[in-house]
Amino acid sequence: MTMKKRKTITRRDFLRGTVYSALGVTLDSTLGKETGAEEKVKVVLIRDENVSDQQGNINLKIIQNMLDDGVCELLGEENPIHAWKKLIKPTDIVGIKSNAWGPLPTPPELEAVIEQRVLDAGVLQRNISIDDRGVLNNPVFRSSTALINVHPLRTHFWSGVGGCIKNYIMFTSTPWLYHADSCSPLASIWSKPIVRGKTRLNILSLIRTQFWSRGAHHFDRRFVSEYKGLLMGRDPVALDAVGARLLQLQRIAHFGEDRPLDTTPKHIFVADEKYKLGISDLRRIQIVKLGWAAGTLI
Amino acid sequence: MFSLFMLVTLLLIGNKSVFPAGGDIKKTEMKKLLPSEVEGYQADGKDQFYDRQTSFQYMDGAAELYRAYAFKLLLVRRYLKADHPPMIVELFDMGSPGDAFGIFSYDTEGEEVGVGQGSDYGGGLLRFWKGRFFANVFAEKETPSTKTDVLEIGKALANAIGSEAPKPKLLNTLPKGDQIERRTRFFHHPLILNHHYFVSHQNILNLGKGTDAVLAAYSLPEGKGKTFLLLIRYLGPNRAEKAFKSFLSAYMPEAASLKTVKTENGKWTSARSHRQYILIIFDAPTQDKADGLIGATLKKLEKK
Repeated sequence: MTMKKRKTITRRDFLRGTVYSALGVTLDSTLGKETGAEEKVKVVLIRDENVSDQQGNINLKIIQNMLDDGVCELLGEENPIHAWKKLIKPTDIVGIKSNAWGPLPTPPELEAVIEQRVLDAGVLQRNISIDDRGVLNNPVFRSSTALINVHPLRTHFWSGVGGCIKNYIMFTSTPWLYHADSCSPLASIWSKPIVRGKTRLNILSLIRTQFWSRGAHHFDRRFVSEYKGLLMGRDPVALDAVGARLLQLQRIAHFGEDRPLDTTPKHIFVADEKYKLGISDLRRIQIVKLGWAAGTLI
Repeated sequence: MFSLFMLVTLLLIGNKSVFPAGGDIKKTEMKKLLPSEVEGYQADGKDQFYDRQTSFQYMDGAAELYRAYAFKLLLVRRYLKADHPPMIVELFDMGSPGDAFGIFSYDTEGEEVGVGQGSDYGGGLLRFWKGRFFANVFAEKETPSTKTDVLEIGKALANAIGSEAPKPKLLNTLPKGDQIERRTRFFHHPLILNHHYFVSHQNILNLGKGTDAVLAAYSLPEGKGKTFLLLIRYLGPNRAEKAFKSFLSAYMPEAASLKTVKTENGKWTSARSHRQYILIIFDAPTQDKADGLIGATLKKLEKK
C-alpha cells in the first residue's frame, strides 16, 4: 500500500492555516467540533492534583484510583477488576512495555499498579514482566499473548513526540532504521509478530509532561509540566494525537507563542493514514475528562 | 586453509585490535583535559566514552542532535563531593571548531557566563565551546550551590582545553547592524534549521553534511519581531543552483524575476543564489529591508 503523494509542507502553509489539512489530518482548535456520523474513538483523560507532591513523590493509592477510574470509564464497567478481566485473561502472558528514559521514565508507581491489576485479573506472577530495552531478550515478552503499553508524554528530537507509537521501537533490533523521515515508519513496528494484535491497553503517562526540549539530553526541568494526569485508550494513535496537541498547548501557555517542535510529529499522522493503526484526526476522538479540571488545556 | 580473513579475525579477537588504535590516543588526550579534582569534587574514576555509533546508549533521543554535526567522541565524567549532588561533565570532541560552535549555537537562550569562547547557563546546565570541544556541565540535582560549582568546574575545564579557534568563516559575511549575536546559528542539517526557523518538513534546500549554513536574526524596531537571514554554502555552484530552484518551487512559486514575495504574515521573503551560495531573507518588514540585507551580504561575499 502506498500513501498518496502530498504537497511539500512549508512555513507558508502554517501561515495560511492550511498545514494540517495538507497533512490530511486535523491538529488544531477544531477539537470538539462535530464531524458527522463517523464513530469516534474514545480516550479517557483523568487527573488528580494530589497524585504527586512538590518533590515529585507519587501517591500510590491515588494513582491506583486514577488507573481504576480511567479503565472503568473506558470499558463501561463499575468494578475495576471486572474491567481488567475484559482486557486480560488469566491464561495470558503479559508484557508491560514501559519506558526507562532516565530524565522522565514511566513512574515506577504506575508500573506497579498496572502489574497489580494484571495480577488481579488472574494472571500468574511468572507470566508478567515489565521491561523496556530488554524486551527482545525477555522470555515473557517473547512468548507474550497480551501487551500493556505505557509511556510518558514528551517531546523528542527525532520524532517530534515520544508516546505510545514510538514506545514499541524496542521491539526491533535495528531502531535506527526507523529514524528516517522524522521516524514516519514507526507504526510499521506494530505489525511485527512479537506485537501484532496483542496490545490491550495504551496509557500515556501525563503525570509529568515534557513540552519542550533543551539541554544535554533534551531535558530541562523548566520545560516539564506537573500535569498530573493519565490518558488511556485502546487506540495508540488517538492517544498520541491528543498528546501532541496537549504539548502544543503547553508550549503556547508557557512561551506565549506556538513554538514548533524540531520535528513535526508526522509519524502519528502516517500511523493513521498509511499503516491504519488508529485515528489521528482529533475531530474523530472523544476525550472523556475525569477529575481535576484546572489547567487541563484540552 | 589459513586465509587472510582468519589472520585478521585472530588479530581482532574480542574486538580488541592489536593495531595501533587512534581512538585510544584521542581518549587519552580527552581524559587529560578533565581535571581529576576541582573545587573539592573528585572524579569517580568511571569515565565513559561514546562515539557516533554508541552515543544512542547514553543519549536516548538526543544523540541525533550531536550526530547532525561532525561529532567524534564523547567523554562523560562524574564528580563526587560529600553532601553535594554529583556533577556530570560531558566533553564532546566535535571534530572541528566550526561544529563545536555550531552545537553550542543550537541553544543560547540562557545567560552568558564567560566560560570558554561562548557559554550559556540556565536550568542548572552550563554549555560552552572552546577550540574543537563542546561541553555540558550540570548537577544531578539542583541545590543553592549548584550554579557556583557548575561554573567553577566549567572554568577549570575551559582553562585546560587551551587554545581558542575561530568561528566559521561564513559568519564573517553577515551584515552587522541590528544583528542579535547570540541568535546566530551554524549548522548543516535541515532539522536544525527547522528548530530555529521552520521552513519545510521536507529538505527543500538540500541541506546536509556537505553544506554549511548560518541563520542570523535581526531585531526590528520597537520589538516588532525579527528578520532572519539564511546563508548556505554548497559544494559548488551547480548544487547551489539546484537547491535554489527547489526552494523557489516549494516556497515561493509565485516569485517573479525579483525572487521576492510578500508572505501571508504581511512580511517579505527574498532569495538569491550567488556562486556556491544561497541567501534568503525571511520576515523582513519591508521589501527595502530585505533588499538591504541581501545587498550587504552579497557585497561581503564578493570580497571573499
